[in-house]
Amino acid sequence: MQQSQPLKKTINPKPMTEGVKKQLLFRLLLVALLSLLATGLGYAVLSLPSSAPGLSELVAENLETSGVSNPVTAVLLNFRAYDTLLELGVLLLALLGVWSFGAVPERRESFPGPVLDTLSRLLVPLLILVAGYLLWVGAHAPGGAFQAGSVLGAAGVLLLLAGWRPGARFVGLPLRITLVAGLGVFVIVSAVLILVGGRLLEYPPSFAATLILLIEAAATLSIGITLAALFIGGRPEAGPNN
Amino acid sequence: MPALIFDIHWQAIVILLPLAGAIACFLWPQRGVQLGLISALGIVACVAALGWQVLELGAQRYAVGGWGAPLGIDLYADGLSLLMLIVTAVVGLGISVYSSGYFNQDRARHFWPLWMFLWAALNALFLSADIFNLYVSLELMGLAAVALVALTKGADALTGAMRYLLVSLLGSLFFLLGVALLYHSFGSVDIALLAERMEPSPAVWAAMGLMSAGLLLKTALFPLHFWLPPAHASAPAPVSALMSALVVKASFYILLRLWLEIFPLTNAALAQFLGLLGAAAVLWGGLQALRQTRLKLLIAYSTVAQIGYLFLAFPLASIIGWKGALYILLSHAAAKAAMFMAAGNILHFGGHDRIADLDRVVQRLPLSITAFALAGVSIMGLPPSGGFIGKWLLLEAAIRSAQWWWGIILILGGLLSAAWVFKVIGYAFTPAEVPHEARVVPATMEWAALAMALVAILLGLFTSWPLALMDIGLPFAGEGDG
Repeated sequence: MQQSQPLKKTINPKPMTEGVKKQLLFRLLLVALLSLLATGLGYAVLSLPSSAPGLSELVAENLETSGVSNPVTAVLLNFRAYDTLLELGVLLLALLGVWSFGAVPERRESFPGPVLDTLSRLLVPLLILVAGYLLWVGAHAPGGAFQAGSVLGAAGVLLLLAGWRPGARFVGLPLRITLVAGLGVFVIVSAVLILVGGRLLEYPPSFAATLILLIEAAATLSIGITLAALFIGGRPEAGPNN
Repeated sequence: MPALIFDIHWQAIVILLPLAGAIACFLWPQRGVQLGLISALGIVACVAALGWQVLELGAQRYAVGGWGAPLGIDLYADGLSLLMLIVTAVVGLGISVYSSGYFNQDRARHFWPLWMFLWAALNALFLSADIFNLYVSLELMGLAAVALVALTKGADALTGAMRYLLVSLLGSLFFLLGVALLYHSFGSVDIALLAERMEPSPAVWAAMGLMSAGLLLKTALFPLHFWLPPAHASAPAPVSALMSALVVKASFYILLRLWLEIFPLTNAALAQFLGLLGAAAVLWGGLQALRQTRLKLLIAYSTVAQIGYLFLAFPLASIIGWKGALYILLSHAAAKAAMFMAAGNILHFGGHDRIADLDRVVQRLPLSITAFALAGVSIMGLPPSGGFIGKWLLLEAAIRSAQWWWGIILILGGLLSAAWVFKVIGYAFTPAEVPHEARVVPATMEWAALAMALVAILLGLFTSWPLALMDIGLPFAGEGDG
């Protein structure tokens, strides 16, 4: 991203014309309307009952058959796994949208300074390890695919900042396969479950833990790579590169 | 054999299949067209199977993961959702065939995965019985739509797409805030459960306002239509067709579900207000369409007008009124797809879409102009066409409920549409002062446009089947007289 020019320099101070007055009036009207909206919403929120009839009890009751003991993971990957499936689609779609704008301009990064270079060498393996831990621990404690994927994505961003670029061998089909792995595994698991006679995303209780881990592992990889690829800001072209 | 077909979970398959298609098109972009067309045919077949299932067994509720609401997510297919799925399948197939000839290799590699994602989102949306899941599918649909609109390069297209993105996100966020308020109040996001537990409170009113406002913004009801003409006009022709035919209808569908099921608070004043906005949209959209000098902008403004008709059913609040609005929705989807395809052919042929320079295009692209004219018949509401049936039903509902003034809007809107249709056709017959170079239009693109226009006309000849479909599961049972 290029730094935009400071705006103040380009705008000449103009006398207060009719148009400016109108604009000011319009803005005042906007502020008034927005305050009205905020007041109304505030009132609505304050009028809510303090004890909400949530679903946490229902989740706790069914936790045993869900395959994991962390209620958040149980909701995300089992009870409402279908939402998560579509969310993975949203993530991939965001990248597809960015890629449709064109290839990333070939730009040589300057060689990183010694601090960044050493730091990234130290941090990236650690981040990958943390991502793996978060993925595994998600079954019974806070963690899971989205957290692990974000950490993995951070590792990717760090590498990109340090001047690393994916080699030409990885930019084509291998990269695309990693990107769709999360959604792909989810869709395949759904299809197989339907083929063996279950409903959409109805895991047999004895396989639930394995299936959730499988889906989460693929999702972690895809989320991490997608976030890092979004950071590049365009479709990486296969070209002569390191 | 039928038993076997009824045992298959078609509801799940019509969502998974386009997703799988999207993945395949993304992985093998050089085979995108073939993979996309195969997926399209597969989806149409599966929707047909689901339709058969619903016709035989009645409305189907499907608990994803076997949990059931409120813990899990339910899918629900009744006549209304089935109708939307079928429209999406028919128009989607037409647009897929059209697109196979329209895009060059470079743009096709982006178009097909995005379009398959959009199709998956639409199918998921029409089947969902859960307001949070509706939000997710709305996001999926919105992102796919924005990326598709941005496939045209150039500053205008990008500005249009950017504005569309912001509007789309704002609408989704309003919807999400409403979902949060409803969940906190009633402890469920399932539509049926919410309908059972519904009782008026400030939070419910706020949720209703927020969700309706967000969806109206996405549906582009006057005066929230400002983003639609630039976005729909600057997109590639098949994308414009998708946007006008299907995407704006999806948010209308959610609005309809919410109003019919969750918020049956029968607030007459609010319904009248929506009707008034609809009437204003019909007149404003018609007038603006008449003023345009570019064909695609003209068609886009006509979409603004046609969306207005859908909202005339709110103050009428009768089963006939809803059926009329839905009939207009169906025929508009087919007719508008045909119009944008025809406009795309003209644009491809002459390199421009200035109406005054159409230059006897009727002699060189007879099929496309026929498609445009036939679609125009339906948009105007002349018999025999789907548009005529829709307007007739709305008129009947207006007279039955003694609100004849809505009938005047219907007639005025029809006249305005007639004026711009004849204006375009007139220019298509007259030679322009400056002759233009012309490019060959692939036959598939011409026939796809004509096929869509014929669907709009046939909807006016075979009315009993779609109308019977609307009764499955009684989506309008909460409404008054028949």
